[in-house]
Parts: sequence; C-alpha cells; structure tokens
Amino acid sequence: MSISQNVLQYFYQLPILLQIVWLCSVGLTLLIILFLFYLYYLRSYLRGEESVLKELFTQYETNLITYLYSGDIDVEISSEQKKISDKMKSCAKNTFKRNILISVLSKLKNDVSGEIATAINLLYIKTGLINYSINKLESKKWEIIALGIKELTQFEVKTAYNEINKYQNHPKHEVRNQVQLYYVSLFQFKGLEFLNNLKTPISEWNQIQLLEILQKFDDQEITDISPWLKSDNDSVVLFALKLAKIYNQFQVIEILLELLNHINKDIRICAIEILGYFHVKEIKEIIKPNFFDRSNEEQISFFKIFEEVIDAEDESFIIENTSNANFEIRFLAFKLLKMIDVNKWHAIKLNTTEIDNERIFNYLEAM
Amino acid sequence: MSNSKKIVLAEDNTTLSLLLKFRLEKEGYQLFIAEDGKKGIELIEEHNPEMVLTDIMMPFISGLELISHVRNKLNLKIPIIVFSAAGQEEMVLKAFNLGANDFMGKPFSPNELVIRIKRLLM
Repeated sequence: MSISQNVLQYFYQLPILLQIVWLCSVGLTLLIILFLFYLYYLRSYLRGEESVLKELFTQYETNLITYLYSGDIDVEISSEQKKISDKMKSCAKNTFKRNILISVLSKLKNDVSGEIATAINLLYIKTGLINYSINKLESKKWEIIALGIKELTQFEVKTAYNEINKYQNHPKHEVRNQVQLYYVSLFQFKGLEFLNNLKTPISEWNQIQLLEILQKFDDQEITDISPWLKSDNDSVVLFALKLAKIYNQFQVIEILLELLNHINKDIRICAIEILGYFHVKEIKEIIKPNFFDRSNEEQISFFKIFEEVIDAEDESFIIENTSNANFEIRFLAFKLLKMIDVNKWHAIKLNTTEIDNERIFNYLEAM
Repeated sequence: MSNSKKIVLAEDNTTLSLLLKFRLEKEGYQLFIAEDGKKGIELIEEHNPEMVLTDIMMPFISGLELISHVRNKLNLKIPIIVFSAAGQEEMVLKAFNLGANDFMGKPFSPNELVIRIKRLLM
C-alpha cells in the first residue's frame, strides 16, 4: 500500500469535524503559497517598472538638456532639436512615457525662468503634449480636469482660456482652485477679474497661493478692488481685504469703514485690523458708539489696533474698559492708559484690589 | 579641464543639476554634482572646490548644515551661492548668517547664475 493510499485511508477514518479542519488547513496553505507567488510576481513587476521609469526619466532628462542647448542662432529650430522633439512626440503617444515626459519638463520648469523656461513651454507645444492636456479638460473625472488645468498653467498656455473658463464654478473646489491659479499665474492682476462672477467660496489656502503668485510679478499695479469689497461672496470680500492691506489701497478706506457693519463677523474683524494698519481715526466714530454691542473678538481686535489711532480724548473710553469683564480687553485698556496718561494709571494702580488687575499692573510695570 | 575652476553643486533636482552642469561646463568650469547635502560635503572635502552652489531643502543634510560645515568645520572662505524656493526667506537669512555670499530664488535664470558665478570668482 502506497503512502498516499495510507493517508487517504487515515483521512476517511477521521471524524467529519477533523476532516473539515484538515481540508481547511490544506486549502489555506495552498492559498498562502499562491499569494506568496503573486507577491513575488508583483514585487518583480513593480521593480521592473520602477527601473524602466528611472531609465526613461534619465533618458528624457538628457534629451531635454540636449534640446535646450543645441539651438542654432541662425534658425528657429536646429536639426538636432527637431530630431529630439520628434522623438519626444512619438513617446508622448504612450501614456506611461507621456507622464514621465511631462514630469521631467515640469521638474525643470519649476526651477528655471527666462529663455530656458520659454524654450520648455515651446517644446511642450511642439511635442503635442498640449493636446493631451487640453483633452484632459473633457474628462468626466474631476481629478483629470484639475490635472489638465495644472499642466496648462505650468506651461503657460494662454490660448486655453476659453476651455478653462467653463470650469470657473465647477462643483469640486480642487478644480476651481486650479482654474483660479491659472487665471492669476497667466494674466496677473487682470486674472483676478474672475472674482466679479465667483459664486463659490475661495479657500484660505487658495487665497494664500493666489497672493503668493501675485507677489512674484514685476508689475505690481493692482486693478480697482472696490467691486470685490462690495461682493455678495464673503470669501471674495475677505480676499479683497487682504489685497487692500498688502497693496496699501488707501483709496478704499470709505468702503472699509462701511465693512465695519458687515453682516459677517470675520469681515468686520478683518476691516478693523486693516483700518488700524492704515491708521484711520474715523474707525473710532463707528466702533465706539456701539462698542459693547459688538462681539468679544471685534472688541479685542479694536483694542489691539487702538494704539494706532489713539488720542487724549479717548481716555474716558479706555478708563471705562479698565473694568471690562474680558481680561484681554482690560489688559489692553490698562496698557493704553499707561501710554496716554501715566499719572492716572498710577492712581488706578494704587486703588486696585483685584488680583487679576494687580498682575496686569506688575506685568506692565516690568515691560 | 585640469586648470578649470571647480564648483560643487548640491541640488536634489537632478534635471536642474544636469542643466547647470551642461551650462557651466560650457563656460569652462568643472562641476561636481551631489544629490543631497551629505554627498555635497563629501565632494567638497574630496575636490576642494573654488565655489559651492547649494539648494536649501535637501535630503539627509540641508543646505544650511552644508554651509555651516564649510565655514565652521572646514574653515573654507570659498564663495557659496544658495538656491531658495518661495517662502524660504527666513532660511535665506539664516544662510547669510552662516556665511553664504549670495542667493538666487527659484525659479531662476541659468544665465543670471553664470553672471553671478563669474563675478564671485573674479
């Protein structure tokens, strides 16, 4: 009797429960072996792909640099450049190679400016990569659309304006962000005109990105921001307030004063900060009469900028606030009082009984 | 080539390094490329260059640590140009405090870089 027959005989003699356990063990062992083979295959495949990617990346890098430095002054494009551009064009037909090619161009485009940057933009058009990016705009997937816009922004394709403009109010904020970056990166301050029709909010992060892009331009002549300060879109107003501060828009002070009574608290606080930054004394006439009806944040913001607009006639208002229930306001009031009337400050200090106030006095004295 | 001035470039963007190598070698300089600060220091110690070009943000050892090593450990007075990206203004100030001679904000023009290198190596 062979071993297999012995094993089978032994197996059939076992109780049914043990037979099931044995079958499960064998099945699971086979599954593990199968998975091990699959993992081995997957690892080899990924390593192979990574090595091809590295190889192609290096090859395209070399091709790109050779292209950029093999120009001929006498002709628009040298024969060597034409050869490289054609080769890249044919590579771009393959999605895998196209993605590598775009990443090589992007990587260099991010770090260089001037003639080289212009040459990269031109190569992007010559190799037909521009068409793939424009085709991405027709995709049903929002992330592909956003990627297409990003590429067209990076390679400064102004002619895609009409196609990109369609996505100005796209439901996905990632797409809208890319559209806004496209406008500002390529059309500078004129690109901010999208704010006129914007129905959706601009994220804080995107506002920062837009401001950063704007600051890079040599021409810092900003367009009129008044319509944006009056916008129904609160995020547009907040963005315009940032612009007002960064670009010292003194001509919009009247509108900033109106914003002190805006329905949105964040806008009111921001307006207080900017008017303080601009040293606009009229702010006091608007804030002081209804100071106690305003939110705590507004009151604190006002006291923080009070130093910039303070006069001797504000003394009674400040003294009134030295007994404010809010510690921060009380502290700022004592600080301001010390600034404008040190004698009065000393007088109050001598009569103070509250521990909190004693701490404030000690701190201010040490300052 | 043996008489040409040696420059060590520490930059993690390989495409930019390749472009600068091509451009600077055309100008007659001998370029040694490091992909990170650690390799940059090794190349500086090995080749004793006339100039160092370094990015600020790099793997393993940053551009700031590299400058500090050149100035404080190796006591070299060679000119150092720092590359910085937007938003790294504080880093640039630190680089100057550590002994950097010049800086270029990315994106920069390679032609402008060549002019600055020539001026510093005059």
